[in-house]
Amino acid sequence: MNNDLKQQQIARINLYALTSRLMMSEVDEGLLKSIETDENMLAFFPTYKDWQKRKELNSKDLREKYLDVDFTNLFLLHLIPYESFYMREDQMMETGGDNPVQKLFNDFDFRVELDKARVMSADHIAVEFEFLYKLCESELKALEADDFHAAAEIADIEYHFLKEHLLEWAPMFLLNVKSEAGTALYFDVADLALEFMLSDFEYLTQLKNNGYDYQA
Amino acid sequence: MYLQSRRTFLKGAAFSVAGVAIAKGVFSTDAVAESVKDSKFTNTPDHIGFYPDHSEWDNFQELDGSDWKRGGIERHGVRSVDNPDGIQVNNYTIVPTVCSNCEAGCGLTAWVNKDTMTVRKYMGNPLHTGSRGRNCAKGYAVTSQMYDPDRIPFPLKRAPGSKRGEGKWVRTTWDEAMAAIGKKMHDTLKKGDEISKKQIIYHVGRPNENGFGHRVPHSMGIDGYNSHTNICSAGARQGTIQWANDDRNSPDWANAELIFLQSSHAADAGHYFQQSAGLIADARKRGAKMVVLDPRMSNSAGIADLWIPCWPGTETALYLYLANRVLHEKDKNGEDLVAHDFVKEWVNWDRLMANKEYLQKMVGYGYISKMPEGDTYEDFIKLARELYAPYTKEFVLKECKLEGMEHKLDQLWEMYIDAGDKIATYLWRAGPIAHRGGWMITRAGFLSLALRGALRGDIGGTSFHHWHEISVAGKGDKATVAGERPAKVDVWNEIPWPPEYPLSSYEMSHIMPHLMMDDAWYEKWTKKGLKIPKSVAVYMPRMYNPVWINPDGFRWIEALKREDKFELSFNLSPTWSETNWYCDYVLPVGLAGERNDQQSTPSKPEQRIEFRQAVLRVAAEKAGWKAKDPARATLEAHMKFGLGEVWEESEFWPNIMVHYVDPDGSLGIRKYWASKKDPSRAVTVPEYFDAALSLLPRLKETATKMYKSEEFPVYSYMRDHGAWTEKTNVYKSQEEELRVDGEYVYAHGKKYHKDHVKKDAFGTLWVEHDGREHSIGIVKDDKVLAGFHTLSKKLEFFSEWFAEWKWPEYAVPVYPRNAGEYKKMEHIVTHVHHSMMKGDNEFALNTVFRLPYNIHTRSVNSKHLMEISQNHNPVWIYTKDAEKLGIKRGDAIRVKITDTVSGLDSGYFVGMAVPTEATRPGVLACSHHAGRWKLKDSIEIPGFEHKLGIMGVGAPLYEMTNDGKTGTLKPVAGIQKRHAGHNLWRFKEYNKDLDNIWWDGLSGSWQNAVAPSHPDPIAGNHAWHQKVIIEKAHADDKIGDIVVNYENNFKVYQAWRDQLTRPLDHNDKLRRPQHIKRPAVPLSNKAYAVNIKA
Repeated sequence: MNNDLKQQQIARINLYALTSRLMMSEVDEGLLKSIETDENMLAFFPTYKDWQKRKELNSKDLREKYLDVDFTNLFLLHLIPYESFYMREDQMMETGGDNPVQKLFNDFDFRVELDKARVMSADHIAVEFEFLYKLCESELKALEADDFHAAAEIADIEYHFLKEHLLEWAPMFLLNVKSEAGTALYFDVADLALEFMLSDFEYLTQLKNNGYDYQA
Repeated sequence: MYLQSRRTFLKGAAFSVAGVAIAKGVFSTDAVAESVKDSKFTNTPDHIGFYPDHSEWDNFQELDGSDWKRGGIERHGVRSVDNPDGIQVNNYTIVPTVCSNCEAGCGLTAWVNKDTMTVRKYMGNPLHTGSRGRNCAKGYAVTSQMYDPDRIPFPLKRAPGSKRGEGKWVRTTWDEAMAAIGKKMHDTLKKGDEISKKQIIYHVGRPNENGFGHRVPHSMGIDGYNSHTNICSAGARQGTIQWANDDRNSPDWANAELIFLQSSHAADAGHYFQQSAGLIADARKRGAKMVVLDPRMSNSAGIADLWIPCWPGTETALYLYLANRVLHEKDKNGEDLVAHDFVKEWVNWDRLMANKEYLQKMVGYGYISKMPEGDTYEDFIKLARELYAPYTKEFVLKECKLEGMEHKLDQLWEMYIDAGDKIATYLWRAGPIAHRGGWMITRAGFLSLALRGALRGDIGGTSFHHWHEISVAGKGDKATVAGERPAKVDVWNEIPWPPEYPLSSYEMSHIMPHLMMDDAWYEKWTKKGLKIPKSVAVYMPRMYNPVWINPDGFRWIEALKREDKFELSFNLSPTWSETNWYCDYVLPVGLAGERNDQQSTPSKPEQRIEFRQAVLRVAAEKAGWKAKDPARATLEAHMKFGLGEVWEESEFWPNIMVHYVDPDGSLGIRKYWASKKDPSRAVTVPEYFDAALSLLPRLKETATKMYKSEEFPVYSYMRDHGAWTEKTNVYKSQEEELRVDGEYVYAHGKKYHKDHVKKDAFGTLWVEHDGREHSIGIVKDDKVLAGFHTLSKKLEFFSEWFAEWKWPEYAVPVYPRNAGEYKKMEHIVTHVHHSMMKGDNEFALNTVFRLPYNIHTRSVNSKHLMEISQNHNPVWIYTKDAEKLGIKRGDAIRVKITDTVSGLDSGYFVGMAVPTEATRPGVLACSHHAGRWKLKDSIEIPGFEHKLGIMGVGAPLYEMTNDGKTGTLKPVAGIQKRHAGHNLWRFKEYNKDLDNIWWDGLSGSWQNAVAPSHPDPIAGNHAWHQKVIIEKAHADDKIGDIVVNYENNFKVYQAWRDQLTRPLDHNDKLRRPQHIKRPAVPLSNKAYAVNIKA
């Protein structure tokens, strides 16, 4: 595989990893430090970068007094980051095996450790993003082994998962997060997740239209 | 914004930290994934009603409950060598049984882990057509009761040399206990005289079975059954006996247009809670309305379409007001509102109109102004119009203290009329049991229903109980050596059936200790020729806690401590109880999944039975285990599989009778309990119940086809299914035609030659047998119909026999029409009438309502139920009443009970006040179902290494004083957290969360002990409500304190007995009308005959 393709794939992996992590649980000391010290990473959070509180408070206070509170509000208390909530007419969460996302994970032998994820069901937005992260990683491994056929199969799964699942509901949720966010960080997280997801779908659509020809 | 192009976007994602370090990593390893792939388990049922198919019950695999706690199989996979952290798979045998926590008898299934032979959980039984697979909180609590760390592990005997109540116990065995008890019973019965046949008393709490318990005294030829019913529901039953000679009514909730509830029963708790509530919910979903008459806003009242908080005990007036309007008004088409087709055909107006002597009395009472002109139906309607005209809206507003609620009466009227004859009701407990004359509430309530045709028993209406119930538990005779029922008993026992209460609905059990200690009463009746025992040789409560649940508890303690009055006593008790403390033996018996009983609950218009069984025995037998002694299989199974020496009555009684009470058969008792198959031993559970259950023809037919190779096919069917519905859609049973062939008429399982059947002027058919006349049917349009259960075969608006039995003025539904009649008609005026409340601090105390999650006493040590009920039993007081008295939420108040007949004070209890709009002005509410106590935290048994805890989860520790006159109880310590070192020596796996007890249990008082026993002079029920005077608690008072003047309480019982009853006298030849039910032992004419000296 050529270097550009590899860098692109690593970038996709990184962005799915970052967005899923930030929406899964509160930002911790290590991750916040990475964001603060890695210019590339910080660049994805432009509002946060200029946020006054960030400059005034130490990391502990910033997290405990603002970021964690906002996370709790957005992802645990008031907004419902689950696909089934958005997709079912009765707005009920499906926490069991009948959840279509759960079924899909099962089909691919992916088991979600809900306690570790601290989520109630497998169709949480962060889990879905992490699923794409895992797929992208596998895709990278296939590309590194020059197994373009396997890579194409995985990319096709990514395409369909985005099209049939995330894009069906996550934009609505992320727009809600943007609207409800009380801190610059989570406003930016939502914006980043939204923009990246749309952009990545465009990329996958193009790849699909090219018959998954990575060389093209 | 920042996304100029995808390229730059991704370029920016060249982080210094790799994605793998950032990602949370919530997807698990392949080993787990594979273990799930290889398993057959689903993550979750498709729907909440999911239940394994019956074919899988003997062998069903399911993931352990911890699966859910840990987030589902997807997180950990199935446990295996490769995946040790996976979820455990349980191999279950699913054994059906029946809940025993209340009278509803909902189906349960025990999920018995075959590897450990323990019950992991109890679920519903979908084959039970009443409970439909559902249970209330009490049903799911059965596991916690079964593995209660404080349950009694083996039989206990009062320590030699100690006195009753000292709390010193030694371990004994069932055989030692049976030998001692059996000998005492043998020696008593061997005397064979009249007195000895009254000296053994079997005192049954909530029976939850249909007739086995009756068989125990019956087979011994004694009149020794005593039930708890007169503190439960005897008032409502009295009204029903008078109307229909039935025990209670039976509504068709599901199809009704109006659900008419008086009290919180049926939908909140009690008869038959979960089943009725489900059917009522179905009806309301369909559009039915619900009205609740209750001074307290119960759960049901809170969600009803209409809540009417009458002053308690005045509901009769409201029902007669409805009758008045129905009789006088027309519908929108100008038609009468009275259902003439029903009333004319099925109400005994004809006998009233023909009884000129009684009509003359009615004139004399001022009920009607003059004799009717004729005796036609139209004349009757005219009479009824005049009789009920005084019960106007204005009258009701004043009498029921509903001033300002006129609109509610209008709404009620609309709903009542709109529903036509589809009105379903259950007049039970609360009002009818709570008051002097409470039974008249039922009389009047049924009148309003009868007039509208709602008592026709048709779809959506109200029928009667016995048509919807099957009682065969006492009829397993064919499995015994005798092969037939024991003969009728020849004696009448004055202790449960004293001569002051010949019409009492049930036994006068709540005054048993009073009678036993009332020397003057004994002398009086002995002089008049009655033979009354001075002592009870063997007193045996069964699943009962009379000391705590009855009024005047200190009197019970005094009496039970008297060894000259109660020579030997033992309690067949599933839990520790206050009563155990004062017995000679405590014999631990089973709860829902540890017993063998046939039950039948008439919760809908069908005939159904359910079969409670000892699930560990059944599961073990299915796995190939065999008891050494088949007649003791349940006891052996419980001992082998870790439950302890827990037994139950359907094996205990046959064994003690065969081997200890009558080992040589000389008393004629042994043959009723010895096995026909092997006369050397007692009858077994499969033998007995196969014989009893075979009396149901459809069940027998189905079972014998399905279990061709089984020795006991009917038993086997019930063992595997747990419930059977013999007949559905049982409506209008009174209209069923009797079988008549050429020469014979068939009724109640007997056939009568036509020449011996006489028809009277009213069309009723009579036969003579057993030395007296019985009515067997009624002729209508040349058809012979079964009719109601009454002598007239019609519903009895006019209770002729009741008039003859000394109460003529109340033989038709009536109520005082003005204050001047309160005294004259005092027998039907509540003893807590508003006219008796003089000051701002005087109230009626509403005591009779159940907490939905407790059942009297047997749920005491279920942690689950205790947790959800703590601090839920304060004294409710109307907000403005509280304001007037300066009482705030949480204040401790003294509630002093005072009697309105004798004027005597009983003492007080200290409760926690909660001002609320949910009780009506002038009426306090405090359920008498809370306030458990114990005098020791645990006991030590010589030679046994562990202390036995006593109600550690459910009862605080108290200090008691009692000197024969005054009794006190004061809380010492609340309920404690438990941990492994604190009396927790077994069932640890089931009791891991005992260390998070957060409640102290000090929220209720033992108010029952303060209340004097005051029996209704007719129905005999303890009239539960009390007149009380409240004040703020004194400085040293604690919630839970009680101070009782039980010397006064004795005088109160005497006052009610002597001032209000109309006892048997020298003119009487019978103890009681023979046609009405006389629970529970069948008596001969000799027993009924009486000769009272003048």
